[in-house]
Amino acid sequence: MSAPVDTDWEHRVRRARRHGDALRLTRLLGRAAGVTAILLFTLFPVYFMIASAFSGRMTSGIGTLVPRDPTLDNFVHVLTEGDFGLYMRNSLAVAGITVVGACLLSLLAAVAVARFRFRLRTSVLVMILIVQMVPLEALVIPLFLQVRDLRLLNTVLGLGIAYIALSLPLAVWMMRGFVAAVPKEVEEAAYIDGASWPVMFWRVLFPLVAPGLVATAIFSFIIAWNEFVLALTFMQQSDKYTVAVGLRRFFGEYANEWGHVMAASTLITLPVMVFFVLVQRWLAAGLVQGAVKG
Amino acid sequence: MGTPVGQAVDGHGARQHRRAPTGPPGRGRRASALGLRRRRALLPWVLLAPALAVIAALLLFPLARIVWLSFREYRLRNLVSGESEFIGLANYVSLFTDSYLWRIALPNTVVFAAVAVVATVVLGTLVALLLSRLRPVTRVVVVSCVMVAWAMPAVSGTYVWLWIFDVDDGIVAQALMRLGVIGPEGYNWFADRLFFYAIVTLNVVHGGFPFVAVTVLAGLLTVPRELHEAALIDGAGAWKRFWHVTFPVLRPVFAVVTILSTIWDFKVFAQVYLMPGGGVGGSEMLNLGVWTYVSSFGQRDYGTGSAIAVVLTLLLLGVTAIYLRALFREDELR
Amino acid sequence: MARTRTRKYVPLPAAALALTLAATACTGGGGGGDADTLTVWIMQGTNPDESGFFDEANAAFTEETGIEVDVEFVPWDGAQEKISTAIAGGTTPDVIELGNTFVPGFADSGALHDLSGYGVDTSLYVPGLMDMGAVNEGVHGVPWYASIRSMVYRTDVFEEHDLEVPETWDELRETALAIEEAEPDMIALPVPGDAQYSVMPWIWGGGAEIAVQGADGTWVSEVDTPEARAGIEFFTGLALEDDTSTTGAVNWNEIKIMESFSEGDAAMALLGSANPKAIVENNPELEGALGSFPIPGRESGTYTPSFAGGSLLSVFEGTGNEEAAWSYVEHLTSEENMMLWAEQTGFFPGLLSGVDTFTASADPVLEAYAIQLNEASKGVPTAPAWSQVEAEQVLVGMQQAILNGTSVEEATTKAADDIERILNGG
Repeated sequence: MSAPVDTDWEHRVRRARRHGDALRLTRLLGRAAGVTAILLFTLFPVYFMIASAFSGRMTSGIGTLVPRDPTLDNFVHVLTEGDFGLYMRNSLAVAGITVVGACLLSLLAAVAVARFRFRLRTSVLVMILIVQMVPLEALVIPLFLQVRDLRLLNTVLGLGIAYIALSLPLAVWMMRGFVAAVPKEVEEAAYIDGASWPVMFWRVLFPLVAPGLVATAIFSFIIAWNEFVLALTFMQQSDKYTVAVGLRRFFGEYANEWGHVMAASTLITLPVMVFFVLVQRWLAAGLVQGAVKG
Repeated sequence: MGTPVGQAVDGHGARQHRRAPTGPPGRGRRASALGLRRRRALLPWVLLAPALAVIAALLLFPLARIVWLSFREYRLRNLVSGESEFIGLANYVSLFTDSYLWRIALPNTVVFAAVAVVATVVLGTLVALLLSRLRPVTRVVVVSCVMVAWAMPAVSGTYVWLWIFDVDDGIVAQALMRLGVIGPEGYNWFADRLFFYAIVTLNVVHGGFPFVAVTVLAGLLTVPRELHEAALIDGAGAWKRFWHVTFPVLRPVFAVVTILSTIWDFKVFAQVYLMPGGGVGGSEMLNLGVWTYVSSFGQRDYGTGSAIAVVLTLLLLGVTAIYLRALFREDELR
Repeated sequence: MARTRTRKYVPLPAAALALTLAATACTGGGGGGDADTLTVWIMQGTNPDESGFFDEANAAFTEETGIEVDVEFVPWDGAQEKISTAIAGGTTPDVIELGNTFVPGFADSGALHDLSGYGVDTSLYVPGLMDMGAVNEGVHGVPWYASIRSMVYRTDVFEEHDLEVPETWDELRETALAIEEAEPDMIALPVPGDAQYSVMPWIWGGGAEIAVQGADGTWVSEVDTPEARAGIEFFTGLALEDDTSTTGAVNWNEIKIMESFSEGDAAMALLGSANPKAIVENNPELEGALGSFPIPGRESGTYTPSFAGGSLLSVFEGTGNEEAAWSYVEHLTSEENMMLWAEQTGFFPGLLSGVDTFTASADPVLEAYAIQLNEASKGVPTAPAWSQVEAEQVLVGMQQAILNGTSVEEATTKAADDIERILNGG
């Protein structure tokens, strides 16, 4: 790119840049203001939640803004009286089933649609895409009946399977982008070396699409951890509640105790947040694969 | 959108060609190649089978079942006994003649979704444009913060906004009282449909814009710098550059984020249901999604609930069909 | 050719998956007919902590029968929805506490076990409760406790400002205004929006019924009569015109009223008989500072009727444990356990013989409640569809609409229409 000869357009770009010296300061200030605004909007609710969670008995919102004497009382209450440890374990179990199921099934399906041309391929793709549009609320009644007929209500497995179904369409689409991005030549090289299809799949394709799997895993984890309606209808026993339903029960019981409710909210939010920030690199990659190459 | 036969044949041809060198030489090569070809034809279906089975059993079959339910009188009694009666279009007739649908539920769903989608996509894009102009280190920091908003589960997010807007002790109410904007008796925004949905919008945009921002940002970083500089030389302003350079390149990205935002915003549930009055049958705050839930599980009229669900599904399919045509007009499905 | 092949093979993995699901289902599904353990749902809300009572009662039951009892506490808030869902999903417990207004609806759906075969003597129980259980030509619940709502006030606040216990609506309003004036930081009398039993008294006090059944069996609601409107207008007027409530109370349910009282924010409140004890439990500083009076009548010398609520214990049909469940119901409704429960919670026993004994020995704070129960209490219409009126939250919707600015005429007309539509099976 860096040609020694100063072409006409490069010259003009430089001049334009020099010319912008005065503009640069205003732009910098503008950017700083923009960044501040974004951070305020995104972080304020989070900050307020955490600040409230650490406040003692509170009566006023403004008073909570800067907690005077931080205390862990709310968390202790939530974990002992509120059974939140149990709810978090339930949610983790459901999310585990969902993540494993969604990753496995979507990877296989993605290989099929990205690497093979077969009859009805387009129809299958469109069907998967359309299924994704179906509103979950519309499915609550029949899914509830279905899971009841399978005798899986009030079980972690029943909810997990339903979540696999929910996350599959998007997962297949995302994985498809990742698989398609692996050059065919890599596969062909493996074949030439005498590898069979399963060997090629496991040794060559799988490592290359691992980032996609991470992205898919995060997506399905979040679906499972955050989902509310199905958990509300499927889990009738309080010892089977997931965090979302547990939080609602908690709110019903301690309506005005915002400190408790916020401590519970913090507990279910923080793990996801930490997780999210740690893996954002793969997540962004997954989105681009899914969206751009989609 | 059927598959042209030629395409499948083409595919076979190409693959056969590729596989040819690895086939065993001599006698039986022909037969074996044929078997291989058969197996290759079967392989994609084997790979697809588990996913399709789950989708069929837990998404397609329930979808059929809800249509079936919507034509029946189905109450708690029927659920217990397992017997129900076919009542034709009665559920739909009573639904479409119910002014609640036209006055409350439909506007709440459609207008809210339109506003929320536009707000989410515009804000997300602006944030992405800003992020793309930051130095990498700053960008990583800001993106991490934006991620934090995204990671907030809908349920806990909703409770945080409820607390922020609490009528008596919330920080907004107290700040406005101190400023004298509202009197010491306070104001119950949850009772006002506009305020109620303004809070829902704030909540939904807060949780939804990071997805748009991160996706568009990722797309922006793939736009070649030369394109921008060329436009800059042509004297194009920022607005013009965005519409003539960035937008066309990122059109598929925008299509995807808009479709997904639309789907998500049409079916917000927890963000409405958990608000005061948001889960009460007959309150003017319900949208179609919450209404179907309240009708079925609150009022135990599963038939009517199913009819509402079918209407919501058709509405959503209609909207996405329009998007799909725009998105895939260039055959991008291949 | 390819097509026939795919047709032949595709269903196999699908079938395999279905089989796996079915197989895991058999091992995973709970329930079952062995009566080793009974699951019991007990409602939880504004009553004091009841786990101590159940620890003892269940231990005694286990010792006697060898059957373990697993009690789960279910918040009143959203309970109907949860019970309906459990019935729909076949995941019901064996025994359940049901609010008296819930029983006819659930009995009608066929979900409750008929207890008439066990020789329940219906004449032994508080009639207002028993009537709700003895529906559909059977007995679908045994009265457990009665609860009534009455006025609770802060004796210290009244003393400090020389206030007398009000005996008419006008005096009630004046007292509230005086408190508002003297203690601007307190809520003189919360007017909640999400508590239908706080609205009903004023309809009755104005001289109307919620609904009456005509000779032809049709229900006619009187909520939109001038009498009912006068009562509703009086109550909501306290909030809207006299500002003795707080704006946020529009979204308050009975739990929140109680909480605001225990936090020392409210000076008077319409509360259930189990609340005073729970309030002192929450905030011991209020010990000795609570008094009660029956809801005053419109005219002096009368009382405004209050909703006589309470709970029955019912057994679910089809759990396979009906026999054992019945013996548990029998255990909890024995005179001994009923009296123990009443003492610990402040609810009135469901056995007629227990009511007087309890009233004589109870906390003086409950005196006014006894008067309210004996002299000025009412139930809801005995139509099986009534629970639907509650499920659709018709009265809550009406009350919230009025508090949010809809006119009393408009809101009551809509409520009356809705009640008639539901009760007449529209």
